[in-house]
Amino acid sequence: MEFKAVLGIRRSIRFFDPDKPVERDKIQKVLEAMRIASCAVNAHWLRAIVVNRSEIPPDTLERLKTPVAGLVQELAPVHIYCYMDLGVVNRIKGSRLKHLVDVGALAPTHGWSHRFVDELVYPQILKPLTESAEYEYSAAFDCGGAGTQGLLTAFDEGLGACWTGFNAEPAAAMLCIPSDWRPLYVLNLGYRLESAEAGGQRPRPDFEELYFEGNANTPFQRDPRVVAELERDGMLMTPAPIPERMQEIRDLARQLGLPE
Amino acid sequence: MTPATAGSNPECAQYASVRIWADGLIEQWGGDPLVEDAQKLRTLLAFCEHCERTPDELVAFCYLRKRTTGERFVSRKRRGQVAAELRDFLATRGASGLDGRRLSAAVLSFLIHNGVMMHTGMV
Repeated sequence: MEFKAVLGIRRSIRFFDPDKPVERDKIQKVLEAMRIASCAVNAHWLRAIVVNRSEIPPDTLERLKTPVAGLVQELAPVHIYCYMDLGVVNRIKGSRLKHLVDVGALAPTHGWSHRFVDELVYPQILKPLTESAEYEYSAAFDCGGAGTQGLLTAFDEGLGACWTGFNAEPAAAMLCIPSDWRPLYVLNLGYRLESAEAGGQRPRPDFEELYFEGNANTPFQRDPRVVAELERDGMLMTPAPIPERMQEIRDLARQLGLPE
Repeated sequence: MTPATAGSNPECAQYASVRIWADGLIEQWGGDPLVEDAQKLRTLLAFCEHCERTPDELVAFCYLRKRTTGERFVSRKRRGQVAAELRDFLATRGASGLDGRRLSAAVLSFLIHNGVMMHTGMV
């Protein structure tokens, strides 16, 4: 698919075919996309653990579910549990930054050298960062970016996906989670039972409410020509609600035996 | 809310919680779902008989109040109890798998429209 069309067709898919397995190569592509994401100081905080739902003991699955996401977790054949590894920065001590210097991604043109990393960046910036209250925000921001690349790749591969929370305690026991990993979200993955449109592109706040130009009081002016171009490219699609959605949900409820 | 807005099934008028359910279904799906599919209400009433509560009592059972603030909340423990009763109800009817889910869906729908979040996996 074209990149903008992938962005346009992504939805939080909540109706999966519970019995249709996901090919292992597609799961790997999702993980590969996460791995090449933009990442501050090349730390790579994101850790992802793939679990086939059918292999989770039923009582454990029940304990993993959150009240609002339980059905999604129950229907999705594959769960990718995402964590951030907060210990990574103090384990690698800037070595991955020096690797970026070695391969020419970081260069003296921008002030980078091995000595700069060893004498300033790690001891004076990164190590103190790991001891600060902001550290988890920084790590979580990067994990979000990496996770999103995986999410979009799932749609590019013809799958559906939906982030949900999960109960950390049973997950930690099931997945043997190290003490310095923090739980994030689980990417529920599988083949859609609902249509790709899934009711249309979700309602969003007005563009001008979210984005600004120059300062926080000046909304970024949205150009209708750009909007029209993105509609042609499939990035901006028919917004919800679309007329047939309620019937679609009702049909799915009856197919799966769900409450209406 | 008045019975007049709660669909045309006369049994809906008897219990406030059933009227809420009927109104919720009408608002969500249009038509008059409890009349179009009378089995839904029959299933709910059979379940209520099984657990010896009226529909209103079933909903009330799921709610507790915080001792400190008096704020009403849906009790996780009590939802679990209702789920267990629903499992027992299905067992007495010999309903399992998809049949069981379809049967329990009526009760879950009733609870959900009354603000008691329950999903099929709990049953």
